[in-house]
Amino acid sequence: MGRWALGLGLALWVAGCGRPDPAPPVIPVTAAELRRVITAARAKAVLVNVWATWCGPCREELPDLVRLERDGRAAGLKVLLVSADSESDLPQVKRFLAQHGVCFPTYFKAQKDMEFINGLDPRWSGALPATFIFDNQGKLVNRLEGKATYAEFVALIQPVLEEQQ
Amino acid sequence: MNRMQTMAIVFTLATGAHAASLQLGDTLPARDVPMKNVDGKTLTIADAKGRHGTLVIFSCNHCPFVKAWETRIAAVGNAALAKGVGVIQINANDPAVQPADGYQEMQQRARERGFQFPYVVDATSDVARAFGAGHTPECFLFDAADKLVYRGAVDDDKDAARVTQHWLRDAVDALAAGREIATKETKAIGCTIKFRKKS
Repeated sequence: MGRWALGLGLALWVAGCGRPDPAPPVIPVTAAELRRVITAARAKAVLVNVWATWCGPCREELPDLVRLERDGRAAGLKVLLVSADSESDLPQVKRFLAQHGVCFPTYFKAQKDMEFINGLDPRWSGALPATFIFDNQGKLVNRLEGKATYAEFVALIQPVLEEQQ
Repeated sequence: MNRMQTMAIVFTLATGAHAASLQLGDTLPARDVPMKNVDGKTLTIADAKGRHGTLVIFSCNHCPFVKAWETRIAAVGNAALAKGVGVIQINANDPAVQPADGYQEMQQRARERGFQFPYVVDATSDVARAFGAGHTPECFLFDAADKLVYRGAVDDDKDAARVTQHWLRDAVDALAAGREIATKETKAIGCTIKFRKKS
């Protein structure tokens, strides 16, 4: 898929976000495309969370990530959610995101597992949920495999945000 | 909270989940830890060793990715036994976290899938910790000298119809035939191991 797909997804989101029941766009990405999104975000810190609807711990921590996105936006935090669900499961991905009030563009893995894992972070085992913190240059500065709390997410991103002050 | 305290928390979060995973060439760890099999007997990884080596698979019952791969795990594992590679599948998950990962459910799963190899309980999760295993399904293949020669996934897609690389099957075949394993390290997305609290 090309960059046009990313652009189309973002355009649909901009058009739909203000509606009463917005369905957030879920945009297909490869690891290389996601890396470009991270760099282009021009945020002080970017948190990438790879999750799936079939993953219990992922579902449990998602509300904290939604809250984190809302609370951290003004401080320069960008949160990117990447679903590892199959493309055939996208309707339930969208339903789940909408149920949790996600009104920002999200993504789904459109690549074989190993290429995606190694392309995003060669040190990632492949376990879900997985969270990665990037600085304002798009450099990976931290990672976490497994479920985290709101406070733990804050502890991961705070030093990166402070670095940019 | 000052910056040093914050950095300490971050470091703990990023490194504290489990030990580093085994590297190729590392020696089989925790080989003599007794574990309860689905047949009620107790055995160790050493007991499961075959004349050409040992395949250790960390698995569980509840994980949708395990379920997706399980038929292929059974096929590769059963074929490995016939080729002289011992096989042992280990469930290190805490059933208090995931009730579906209990012993009775393991027995049922082993029957349903036709595992001809042991499926055992890592009752402290310490065997998984010794391997640095972090998710399921995850495979570790050792040669006759107990050195790690392959680690990673079963194949390259959880959807059987889309598989193009049969990594584990090929690694077992090469090991049994005395050939060099072409692809020694692979990855796939899976479920985190639900570790029991440190004993």
